[in-house]
Amino acid sequence: MWKKLFDWLDERLGLNDLYKATLDRPEPKGNWWNTLGSASLFLFLLQGATGIFLMVYYTPSPDHAYDSIQYIMNEVAFGWLIRGIHHWGATLMVLVVFIHMLRVFITASYKYPRELTWIIGVGLLLLTLGMGFTGYLLPWNQRAFWATTVGTEIAGAVPFIGEFITSALRGGSDLSALTLSRFFSAHIWMLPALLSGLIGAHIYLIMRHGESAFPDKDD
Amino acid sequence: MREEHKKAIHEKYQRVLQKGERFWPDSIYKDLIISFAIFLVLVLLATFVGVPGEPKADPSDSSYVPKPEWYFLFLFKFLAMYGQLPAIGKVEWIAAILIPVVVLVGLFLLPLLDRNLKRHYSRRTLALTVMVVFVVSMIVLTLLASTPLLADDTGRMTLPTQMQMWAGLFVPAAAYVVLAGLGLLVKKLGERAGQAQAWTAGVASLAMIALTAAVLVMVPPVEVEEVLVAGTIPEQITAGQDLYFIHCVECHGDDGTVTVIAGVEGLEGTVVSPINSQDVMYTFTDDTLANIINYGQQDLGMQPFGVAYGGELGPSEIGYIVTFMRYSWDDRMEIPEGAVSTIPVPAEGEVPSYEIHIQPLVQRYCVSCHRAGKENNNFLMTSYQEILTTGDNVDLNIVAGDMEAYLILVINGQQILDPAMGDLLVDQMPPTRLMPPEYIDSLTRWIMAGMPEMAVEAQALSPAPAAAP
Repeated sequence: MWKKLFDWLDERLGLNDLYKATLDRPEPKGNWWNTLGSASLFLFLLQGATGIFLMVYYTPSPDHAYDSIQYIMNEVAFGWLIRGIHHWGATLMVLVVFIHMLRVFITASYKYPRELTWIIGVGLLLLTLGMGFTGYLLPWNQRAFWATTVGTEIAGAVPFIGEFITSALRGGSDLSALTLSRFFSAHIWMLPALLSGLIGAHIYLIMRHGESAFPDKDD
Repeated sequence: MREEHKKAIHEKYQRVLQKGERFWPDSIYKDLIISFAIFLVLVLLATFVGVPGEPKADPSDSSYVPKPEWYFLFLFKFLAMYGQLPAIGKVEWIAAILIPVVVLVGLFLLPLLDRNLKRHYSRRTLALTVMVVFVVSMIVLTLLASTPLLADDTGRMTLPTQMQMWAGLFVPAAAYVVLAGLGLLVKKLGERAGQAQAWTAGVASLAMIALTAAVLVMVPPVEVEEVLVAGTIPEQITAGQDLYFIHCVECHGDDGTVTVIAGVEGLEGTVVSPINSQDVMYTFTDDTLANIINYGQQDLGMQPFGVAYGGELGPSEIGYIVTFMRYSWDDRMEIPEGAVSTIPVPAEGEVPSYEIHIQPLVQRYCVSCHRAGKENNNFLMTSYQEILTTGDNVDLNIVAGDMEAYLILVINGQQILDPAMGDLLVDQMPPTRLMPPEYIDSLTRWIMAGMPEMAVEAQALSPAPAAAP
């Protein structure tokens, strides 16, 4: 019975080919340092899941953002847990992605034929930092407000177009409701969309070239 | 890269795979274990550390010291240090834009820039040593982020500041120059160049870490001031109540019923509407109440309380007061359990302590005026120390065991006259309406027993119940 169902599905979905391509891959002898990439992916998915839950109650307006988070923390069942995981997950994700980069650098895994994997990976690191920067403003508390004021001010140091960049980020000369809605949409749509696309490309390249081996004396 | 190199790399990889394993089921369990461990760590952090509270954003409070997320601290500190450099320190875009962009482009294009075919650590000393110095400098800058950069009276940097500059800027910069120089000499020096690079990176890292440790010992990081953040509704009501009894009680009275202000300089006899009335509660929204507190009603004599208009209250604090008013006086609201803070009254024969009985009482009835910046004969009451050691009449004010102490007299409704001139020295306290008798009794018994601060001290002074007459 199960065999029949599986065969039916396999004929249409190609489950066996999928299994061979994704799970039954040959790999060099495993190492615990090779788990950092999948740990980053796990954190990305966890941030996505907790983020979606937070979005149910969060209101991206200066009048209500702070209170909606107070509500999540104090009134919503397990809201504190979801927010706590999202908060600490952000910190841990930056840390894990950065250590992942260091590991790839140290074992020289970015060399032929994995150059593009590295370049996309640096993009992922930057986008992760971008997620941290945009997410930091959303609670609309003192820390968030002033850190973002200073952060967007730094962009103003670019010669000639600095002022334009700052006002484009802020949606005006000062931080306002526009800044919050810009950062919000960047945090929940633009950056995650880019991230998921690049993560897909990153994983495709890893499957195509195989996981790199740690170098030995002859390399 | 020539075709034969590529071929060699592919053949080598195939040989490694022969000796390797399958992703499923050989190595995936490691990924699952790590992911599960991360999840556990996050749940523990969320449960036992939580998310630190912060007051609501206040765009008018420019005195707030900005602090970015911790992973940007190194950049923040780097910019601050760079700004201290003579001459180029003024050209902000070099440090804020040029250097980060160069580092990022270098990182992106690393596989194209690094033409070295070798992969083993011993043959990549330049790349590895540069990265070590870079990462150590990031860590050092992060650790130093909350240590201020200071100049002494003559405008020179203080010693710890100079040490910070060396740890965060000069030592790594010098190390990069030496490492790159040695990299150029590889052809001439052979293996010795690699050894020299390893030594350079090691010595530079140790120097940076040692300097940082010394600075952190010499100048302990500035401790961040705790700000009152109330989360739940009961917490907000309690916080609002405390704030109400400091900022509002003078004019509006302890229950908001006052219609004619008495005993407040400059506002004597001003007519106000009772702010606890149904009319006010039903027609003023929370936003309206917050606006009134924030901006004041200056034509009616009410001063602004918001920081933005020269007052003392931030948006969060104003919100707490509004919550307190709403839940206490609006008959459509039900006050949640645990929200009403009552002032404890000592039991029969029990000696009251500052910690348990007096502090909440003083907070409610006295601190409104007896704090810095108010007219109060310099008698401040915000802490135990202040109550005992401040005031123009400090010697006569609170005397252990003396029923004639000024404080005991005034809270019982007596006026103190200046012994020499006969003028009024101290009016009754609180000036408009005396405290309820149980609080007067509590304060009196506290002074008679010798003003114990902690509950244990008070306990020691209390007569054993059996021995009481």
